[in-house]
Amino acid sequence: MSSHEPFDELEAELRALGAVLDVPPPPPAQDVTAAVRTRLEPPPDAAPQPAPDVAPQPTPYAAPPPVPVAPRTPPGRTRGRRGNRGRRWAVVAAVVVAVVAATAATPQGRAAVTAILRFAGIELHVGDTPPPPVATTAPLPGERTLSPSETPGVTFPVRTPSRLGPPDRTTVADGGRLVSMFWPDGIRLDQFDGAMDPYFFKQLGPPFPDFVRVGGRDAIWLTGAHPLGYLEREDGTRVPLRQAGPTLIWQAGGVNHRLEGARTAREAAEIAESLR
Amino acid sequence: MDDDAAIARSLDGDLAAYEVLVARYSALAHRTAYLLGAGDEAEDVVQEAFVKAFRHLPAFRRDAPFRPWLLRIVANETHNLTRSRGRRAELALRLGAIADPRAPDDPEGSAVATDRRARLLAAVRGLPERERRAVVCRYFLQLTEAETAEVLDCPVGTVKSSTHRGLARLREEVGNELA
Repeated sequence: MSSHEPFDELEAELRALGAVLDVPPPPPAQDVTAAVRTRLEPPPDAAPQPAPDVAPQPTPYAAPPPVPVAPRTPPGRTRGRRGNRGRRWAVVAAVVVAVVAATAATPQGRAAVTAILRFAGIELHVGDTPPPPVATTAPLPGERTLSPSETPGVTFPVRTPSRLGPPDRTTVADGGRLVSMFWPDGIRLDQFDGAMDPYFFKQLGPPFPDFVRVGGRDAIWLTGAHPLGYLEREDGTRVPLRQAGPTLIWQAGGVNHRLEGARTAREAAEIAESLR
Repeated sequence: MDDDAAIARSLDGDLAAYEVLVARYSALAHRTAYLLGAGDEAEDVVQEAFVKAFRHLPAFRRDAPFRPWLLRIVANETHNLTRSRGRRAELALRLGAIADPRAPDDPEGSAVATDRRARLLAAVRGLPERERRAVVCRYFLQLTEAETAEVLDCPVGTVKSSTHRGLARLREEVGNELA
């Protein structure tokens, strides 16, 4: 294709894309007007002062000048309704490898998936209502338990969290693409190649996943039980596995990690940071 | 009350008149901030932009349209925000969960179209900042070249060349075929 060709089709496509982007709904106009007015009105207890915010100030600029960077929170500022949590998500959106559409299949009666986030080899299908739990339990494809003397024989470095000690049992699945370790009390660590396409999927409803830091990087903490499945490599078919417990997911050293069964985000992060 | 009347009264300190402008443009300002990279802080950006616009209103040229002038402040605020985060403005963009109206009975074709959209969006996110901002203004916000130039505070010629380079890069990334 020559680059001299007109871009008409691509331009039309981009306009159409703009129309289907998931932009959060704007806050109600009356909220914005009220917040702006609050900031523009002189404070009632400062009556003797002239209202510096309101008086038009002569300015040499013909257009708004660049605004200083540092003070983003002037006094009297009415903050948006979203606080730190939203900010964390904004940051993490940068970490998330790709965010794609959830248009393909939303059968009637099923909760609408509002976003799919891909993070640490896991697709998080975030919906607006809790997904129905998975009642069945299935193993990973080709999952087999290693004998105590056997090494996993996989292409990525496998580590063990020193905080938990040696696992009760280790399995390798899917032709050496994934290693799982099991400890008492339902604690389970999955390690899999970070270069792979998303491997697991999780269906989530409210509350929105939370953030913790592991080794100075963002990790996602999923508090509640949620359906877990894996994505077939050939065609991305979703195969349900089981109902998973609270889980921490993160990526380190080119390996994706999934730690299930820790009781709190802090405990999970401590285990994660003890990987050796 | 049209924009000009509202501006005239706002200049006299009539906050109720200014509220008319805020109410009229808050949704567009929010979309602009979000698409230019403010993400979840779009609400804060919009609020800040309206406060600054009011303070700079005396400098507004009354024969010019208010909309791009306001959006320029929004773009400035967004730029400051992303710069103060110490990193490149990231686009927290995703596709909405909507069915493709073109192919209700053709899930496969619909999935292909969806995949292409996702790739196109990823390619837009990956554009160099100047090109990305031009593409976002021209196509996602559907501003004219002149409006884009005002919003991004650059000559129209720069908008043309940035847009063209951006389109060329996008075509290279995702190809030409329509799904």
